[in-house]
Amino acid sequence: MTLYAESAYPVRPDLAAAHASQLDQLGAPGTWGSGAQRLAIAAEARTAGYEAGVLEAPADGGVAVEFALPEVARRVVRRNAVSPKDVDQAFYNDALSDGLSDAEYVEIVGIVSRVTNFDVFARGIGVALRPLPAPQPGEPSRERPAAAVMEKAWVPTIPNGPDGGELGAELYGGQPKPYILRALSLVPDELRAHIELEQIQYTRLDRIFDFEYQHHEGLTRPQVEIIAGRVSALNECFY
Amino acid sequence: MPGGDLLLAFADAVIGADLAALDIARAALAEGLSLAAVSSAAAVAANFTKNDRIANGLGIPTDPVALEGTKELREQLGINDFRSAINTFRHSTAG
Repeated sequence: MTLYAESAYPVRPDLAAAHASQLDQLGAPGTWGSGAQRLAIAAEARTAGYEAGVLEAPADGGVAVEFALPEVARRVVRRNAVSPKDVDQAFYNDALSDGLSDAEYVEIVGIVSRVTNFDVFARGIGVALRPLPAPQPGEPSRERPAAAVMEKAWVPTIPNGPDGGELGAELYGGQPKPYILRALSLVPDELRAHIELEQIQYTRLDRIFDFEYQHHEGLTRPQVEIIAGRVSALNECFY
Repeated sequence: MPGGDLLLAFADAVIGADLAALDIARAALAEGLSLAAVSSAAAVAANFTKNDRIANGLGIPTDPVALEGTKELREQLGINDFRSAINTFRHSTAG
Protein backbone atom coordinates (compact mmCIF):
# COMPACT_ATOMS: atom_id res chain seq x y z
CA MET A 1 0.00 0.00 0.00
CA THR A 2 1.40 3.40 -0.94
CA LEU A 3 1.54 6.39 1.37
CA TYR A 4 -1.42 8.16 -0.25
CA ALA A 5 -3.45 5.09 -1.19
CA GLU A 6 -6.75 6.62 -0.05
CA SER A 7 -6.35 9.73 -2.22
CA ALA A 8 -9.18 10.45 -4.64
CA TYR A 9 -6.56 11.97 -6.94
CA PRO A 10 -3.79 9.99 -8.68
CA VAL A 11 -0.44 10.38 -6.94
CA ARG A 12 2.83 9.72 -8.75
CA PRO A 13 4.42 6.53 -7.42
CA ASP A 14 7.82 8.21 -7.17
CA LEU A 15 6.35 11.03 -5.09
CA ALA A 16 4.58 8.63 -2.72
CA ALA A 17 7.75 6.56 -2.33
CA ALA A 18 9.96 9.58 -1.68
CA HIS A 19 7.58 11.02 0.90
CA ALA A 20 7.28 7.66 2.67
CA SER A 21 11.03 7.22 2.79
CA GLN A 22 11.78 10.76 3.90
CA LEU A 23 9.08 10.76 6.57
CA ASP A 24 10.52 7.54 7.95
CA GLN A 25 14.03 9.01 7.92
CA LEU A 26 12.89 11.93 10.07
CA GLY A 27 12.92 9.47 12.94
CA ALA A 28 16.51 8.44 12.30
CA PRO A 29 19.57 10.28 13.61
CA GLY A 30 20.54 13.08 11.26
CA THR A 31 23.68 15.16 10.97
CA TRP A 32 23.22 17.26 14.11
CA GLY A 33 19.96 16.05 15.60
CA SER A 34 18.98 12.69 17.08
CA GLY A 35 15.86 10.93 15.83
CA ALA A 36 13.90 12.23 18.83
CA GLN A 37 15.13 15.79 18.25
CA ARG A 38 14.29 15.71 14.55
CA LEU A 39 10.79 14.40 15.28
CA ALA A 40 10.33 17.11 17.90
CA ILE A 41 11.18 19.67 15.22
CA ALA A 42 8.64 18.13 12.86
CA ALA A 43 5.97 17.99 15.57
CA GLU A 44 6.60 21.59 16.60
CA ALA A 45 6.27 22.74 12.99
CA ARG A 46 2.93 20.97 12.76
CA THR A 47 1.71 22.41 16.04
CA ALA A 48 2.54 25.89 14.79
CA GLY A 49 0.55 25.14 11.65
CA TYR A 50 -2.47 23.93 13.64
CA GLU A 51 -2.40 27.05 15.77
CA ALA A 52 -2.14 29.28 12.71
CA GLY A 53 -5.08 27.51 11.09
CA VAL A 54 -3.12 26.44 8.01
CA LEU A 55 -3.01 22.73 8.94
CA GLU A 56 -5.62 20.42 10.41
CA ALA A 57 -4.52 18.04 13.17
CA PRO A 58 -5.00 14.43 12.06
CA ALA A 59 -6.73 11.81 14.17
CA ASP A 60 -3.49 9.80 14.03
CA GLY A 61 -0.45 12.05 14.23
CA GLY A 62 1.86 9.15 14.92
CA VAL A 63 4.07 8.44 17.89
CA ALA A 64 3.92 11.09 20.62
CA VAL A 65 7.12 13.12 20.68
CA GLU A 66 8.59 13.37 24.15
CA PHE A 67 11.72 15.44 23.50
CA ALA A 68 11.50 19.05 24.68
CA LEU A 69 13.17 21.43 22.23
CA PRO A 70 15.20 24.34 23.61
CA GLU A 71 13.41 27.67 23.37
CA VAL A 72 15.68 28.93 20.59
CA ALA A 73 14.98 25.86 18.46
CA ARG A 74 11.22 26.22 19.02
CA ARG A 75 11.44 29.85 17.94
CA VAL A 76 13.29 28.97 14.72
CA VAL A 77 10.92 26.12 13.92
CA ARG A 78 7.78 28.17 14.47
CA ARG A 79 8.87 31.25 12.54
CA ASN A 80 10.05 29.18 9.61
CA ALA A 81 6.95 26.99 9.65
CA VAL A 82 4.22 29.63 9.62
CA SER A 83 5.81 32.98 8.88
CA PRO A 84 8.77 32.51 6.54
CA LYS A 85 8.33 36.03 5.19
CA ASP A 86 9.38 37.37 8.60
CA VAL A 87 12.74 35.62 8.83
CA ASP A 88 15.63 38.04 8.45
CA GLN A 89 19.33 38.10 9.20
CA ALA A 90 18.80 39.55 12.66
CA PHE A 91 16.55 36.58 13.47
CA TYR A 92 19.27 34.21 12.28
CA ASN A 93 21.97 36.04 14.24
CA ASP A 94 19.83 35.92 17.37
CA ALA A 95 19.40 32.17 16.96
CA LEU A 96 23.17 31.74 16.90
CA SER A 97 23.64 34.07 19.85
CA ASP A 98 21.11 32.02 21.77
CA GLY A 99 23.00 28.78 21.28
CA LEU A 100 22.30 27.16 17.93
CA SER A 101 25.23 26.43 15.63
CA ASP A 102 24.98 27.45 11.99
CA ALA A 103 24.77 23.79 10.97
CA GLU A 104 22.06 23.01 13.52
CA TYR A 105 20.10 25.97 12.20
CA VAL A 106 20.45 24.65 8.63
CA GLU A 107 19.25 21.19 9.62
CA ILE A 108 16.22 22.70 11.38
CA VAL A 109 15.32 24.78 8.33
CA GLY A 110 15.70 21.73 6.11
CA ILE A 111 13.44 19.58 8.30
CA VAL A 112 10.75 22.25 8.70
CA SER A 113 10.78 22.93 4.96
CA ARG A 114 10.32 19.27 4.12
CA VAL A 115 7.64 18.62 6.72
CA THR A 116 5.74 21.64 5.43
CA ASN A 117 6.13 20.19 1.95
CA PHE A 118 4.65 16.83 2.99
CA ASP A 119 1.82 18.47 4.89
CA VAL A 120 0.82 20.97 2.21
CA PHE A 121 0.76 18.15 -0.31
CA ALA A 122 -1.51 16.04 1.90
CA ARG A 123 -3.79 19.01 2.48
CA GLY A 124 -3.81 19.73 -1.22
CA ILE A 125 -5.10 16.30 -2.15
CA GLY A 126 -7.53 16.25 0.76
CA VAL A 127 -6.02 13.54 2.96
CA ALA A 128 -4.97 13.69 6.60
CA LEU A 129 -1.38 14.53 7.47
CA ARG A 130 0.69 11.38 7.48
CA PRO A 131 1.70 10.01 10.92
CA LEU A 132 5.19 10.75 12.19
CA PRO A 133 7.32 7.65 12.80
CA ALA A 134 8.84 6.40 16.02
CA PRO A 135 12.32 7.69 16.85
CA GLN A 136 15.24 5.42 16.05
CA PRO A 137 18.23 5.06 18.34
CA GLY A 138 21.68 6.31 17.49
CA GLU A 139 23.81 9.40 17.43
CA PRO A 140 23.93 12.13 14.78
CA SER A 141 26.96 12.01 12.49
CA ARG A 142 28.10 15.58 13.30
CA GLU A 143 29.98 15.69 9.99
CA ARG A 144 30.63 19.24 8.82
CA PRO A 145 31.77 19.56 5.20
CA ALA A 146 35.27 21.01 5.10
CA ALA A 147 34.52 22.68 1.77
CA ALA A 148 31.69 24.84 3.14
CA VAL A 149 32.64 28.52 3.28
CA MET A 150 30.89 31.83 3.59
CA GLU A 151 29.62 32.99 0.21
CA LYS A 152 26.52 35.17 -0.11
CA ALA A 153 24.02 33.32 2.08
CA TRP A 154 23.83 33.84 5.86
CA VAL A 155 25.16 30.34 6.33
CA PRO A 156 28.25 28.64 4.89
CA THR A 157 27.70 26.83 1.61
CA ILE A 158 29.74 24.50 -0.57
CA PRO A 159 30.88 26.49 -3.62
CA ASN A 160 30.33 25.56 -7.22
CA GLY A 161 33.34 24.36 -9.19
CA PRO A 162 36.70 23.09 -7.96
CA ASP A 163 36.44 24.91 -4.64
CA GLY A 164 33.55 22.59 -3.73
CA GLY A 165 35.83 19.55 -3.82
CA GLU A 166 34.63 16.00 -4.28
CA LEU A 167 31.53 16.52 -2.15
CA GLY A 168 30.51 19.54 -4.18
CA ALA A 169 30.98 17.59 -7.40
CA GLU A 170 28.80 14.79 -6.04
CA LEU A 171 26.07 17.09 -4.72
CA TYR A 172 25.94 19.33 -7.79
CA GLY A 173 26.46 16.67 -10.44
CA GLY A 174 29.43 18.47 -11.91
CA GLN A 175 27.34 21.45 -13.00
CA PRO A 176 27.12 24.92 -11.42
CA LYS A 177 23.97 25.18 -9.36
CA PRO A 178 21.92 28.20 -8.26
CA TYR A 179 21.71 29.05 -4.59
CA ILE A 180 18.38 27.31 -4.06
CA LEU A 181 20.16 24.04 -4.91
CA ARG A 182 23.17 24.83 -2.70
CA ALA A 183 21.67 26.62 0.30
CA LEU A 184 21.45 23.50 2.48
CA SER A 185 24.89 22.18 1.55
CA LEU A 186 26.30 22.70 5.05
CA VAL A 187 24.15 19.65 5.87
CA PRO A 188 24.56 17.51 2.75
CA ASP A 189 21.86 14.98 3.66
CA GLU A 190 19.29 17.78 3.89
CA LEU A 191 20.38 19.03 0.48
CA ARG A 192 20.09 15.55 -1.01
CA ALA A 193 16.56 15.17 0.36
CA HIS A 194 15.56 18.61 -0.94
CA ILE A 195 16.90 17.85 -4.41
CA GLU A 196 15.09 14.51 -4.49
CA LEU A 197 11.80 16.30 -3.85
CA GLU A 198 12.64 19.06 -6.31
CA GLN A 199 13.17 16.57 -9.13
CA ILE A 200 9.85 14.87 -8.45
CA GLN A 201 7.60 17.75 -7.45
CA TYR A 202 8.91 20.54 -9.69
CA THR A 203 10.82 19.21 -12.65
CA ARG A 204 13.85 17.17 -13.64
CA LEU A 205 16.84 19.41 -13.10
CA ASP A 206 18.33 18.42 -16.45
CA ARG A 207 15.16 19.73 -18.15
CA ILE A 208 14.69 22.88 -16.11
CA PHE A 209 15.26 25.18 -19.08
CA ASP A 210 13.14 23.03 -21.42
CA PHE A 211 9.81 24.79 -21.24
CA GLU A 212 8.17 22.33 -23.63
CA TYR A 213 8.92 19.41 -21.31
CA GLN A 214 5.83 18.38 -19.35
CA HIS A 215 6.81 16.81 -16.05
CA HIS A 216 3.39 16.74 -14.39
CA GLU A 217 0.32 14.86 -15.56
CA GLY A 218 -2.40 17.38 -16.24
CA LEU A 219 -0.26 20.54 -16.02
CA THR A 220 1.92 22.25 -18.60
CA ARG A 221 5.08 24.06 -17.52
CA PRO A 222 3.40 27.50 -17.70
CA GLN A 223 0.62 26.20 -15.47
CA VAL A 224 3.23 24.89 -13.04
CA GLU A 225 4.88 28.32 -12.96
CA ILE A 226 1.54 29.99 -12.15
CA ILE A 227 1.28 27.94 -8.98
CA ALA A 228 4.95 28.32 -8.08
CA GLY A 229 4.88 32.08 -8.53
CA ARG A 230 1.68 32.54 -6.56
CA VAL A 231 2.86 30.45 -3.61
CA SER A 232 6.19 32.25 -3.49
CA ALA A 233 4.48 35.64 -3.67
CA LEU A 234 2.22 34.72 -0.77
CA ASN A 235 5.27 33.64 1.21
CA GLU A 236 7.00 36.88 0.19
CA CYS A 237 9.98 35.01 -1.15
CA PHE A 238 12.07 37.31 -3.35
CA TYR A 239 14.21 34.44 -4.58
CA MET B 1 -3.70 30.30 -19.70
CA PRO B 2 -6.11 27.33 -19.44
CA GLY B 3 -7.33 27.00 -15.89
CA GLY B 4 -5.24 29.95 -14.71
CA ASP B 5 -7.88 31.27 -12.34
CA LEU B 6 -8.49 27.78 -10.97
CA LEU B 7 -4.79 27.29 -10.32
CA LEU B 8 -4.46 30.63 -8.57
CA ALA B 9 -7.46 29.92 -6.36
CA PHE B 10 -6.03 26.52 -5.47
CA ALA B 11 -2.59 27.99 -4.68
CA ASP B 12 -4.16 30.61 -2.44
CA ALA B 13 -6.30 28.08 -0.61
CA VAL B 14 -3.79 25.28 -0.13
CA ILE B 15 -1.54 27.46 2.01
CA GLY B 16 -4.37 29.49 3.50
CA ALA B 17 -6.48 29.08 6.61
CA ASP B 18 -9.90 28.58 5.00
CA LEU B 19 -10.45 24.84 4.64
CA ALA B 20 -13.85 25.29 3.01
CA ALA B 21 -12.25 27.49 0.35
CA LEU B 22 -9.66 24.78 -0.26
CA ASP B 23 -12.35 22.14 -0.70
CA ILE B 24 -14.11 24.36 -3.25
CA ALA B 25 -10.89 25.22 -5.09
CA ARG B 26 -9.85 21.56 -5.23
CA ALA B 27 -13.19 20.45 -6.63
CA ALA B 28 -13.21 23.26 -9.18
CA LEU B 29 -9.70 22.38 -10.34
CA ALA B 30 -10.64 18.72 -10.73
CA GLU B 31 -13.71 19.62 -12.74
CA GLY B 32 -12.07 22.35 -14.79
CA LEU B 33 -8.80 20.57 -15.59
CA SER B 34 -8.54 16.99 -14.33
CA LEU B 35 -8.13 14.78 -11.28
CA ALA B 36 -4.42 14.50 -12.05
CA ALA B 37 -4.12 18.27 -12.17
CA VAL B 38 -5.11 18.41 -8.49
CA SER B 39 -2.32 16.16 -7.29
CA SER B 40 0.15 17.82 -9.65
CA ALA B 41 -0.83 21.27 -8.43
CA ALA B 42 -0.56 20.10 -4.82
CA ALA B 43 2.93 18.74 -5.52
CA VAL B 44 4.09 22.02 -7.03
CA ALA B 45 2.55 24.18 -4.30
CA ALA B 46 4.10 21.96 -1.63
CA ASN B 47 7.49 22.08 -3.32
CA PHE B 48 7.51 25.85 -3.36
CA THR B 49 6.41 26.13 0.25
CA LYS B 50 9.60 24.16 0.88
CA ASN B 51 11.76 26.30 -1.35
CA ASP B 52 10.45 29.57 0.08
CA ARG B 53 11.37 28.44 3.59
CA ILE B 54 14.85 27.41 2.48
CA ALA B 55 15.46 30.66 0.60
CA ASN B 56 14.08 33.01 3.24
CA GLY B 57 15.37 30.95 6.14
CA LEU B 58 18.96 30.80 4.93
CA GLY B 59 19.22 34.23 3.38
CA ILE B 60 20.26 33.26 -0.11
CA PRO B 61 20.51 35.91 -2.85
CA THR B 62 18.79 35.59 -6.20
CA ASP B 63 21.30 34.54 -8.82
CA PRO B 64 22.20 37.38 -11.21
CA VAL B 65 20.78 35.62 -14.28
CA ALA B 66 17.33 35.65 -12.67
CA LEU B 67 17.51 39.38 -12.00
CA GLU B 68 18.27 40.34 -15.57
CA GLY B 69 15.33 41.92 -17.34
CA THR B 70 12.94 41.66 -14.40
CA LYS B 71 13.38 45.08 -12.79
CA GLU B 72 10.10 46.58 -14.06
CA LEU B 73 8.12 43.45 -13.33
CA ARG B 74 9.47 43.24 -9.79
CA GLU B 75 8.57 46.87 -9.20
CA GLN B 76 5.05 46.43 -10.61
CA LEU B 77 4.35 43.38 -8.44
CA GLY B 78 5.87 44.85 -5.29
CA ILE B 79 8.38 42.04 -5.04
CA ASN B 80 11.22 44.46 -4.28
CA ASP B 81 9.37 45.35 -1.07
CA PHE B 82 9.52 41.83 0.36
CA ARG B 83 11.66 41.62 3.48
CA SER B 84 13.64 38.84 1.81
CA ALA B 85 14.67 41.18 -1.04
CA ILE B 86 17.50 42.52 1.09
CA ASN B 87 19.21 39.13 0.84
CA THR B 88 19.76 39.91 -2.83
CA PHE B 89 20.13 43.67 -2.81
CA ARG B 90 22.86 43.64 -0.19
CA HIS B 91 24.99 41.96 -2.86
CA SER B 92 23.63 43.68 -5.96
CA THR B 93 22.66 47.01 -7.46
CA ALA B 94 20.11 45.39 -9.77
CA GLY B 95 17.10 46.63 -7.82
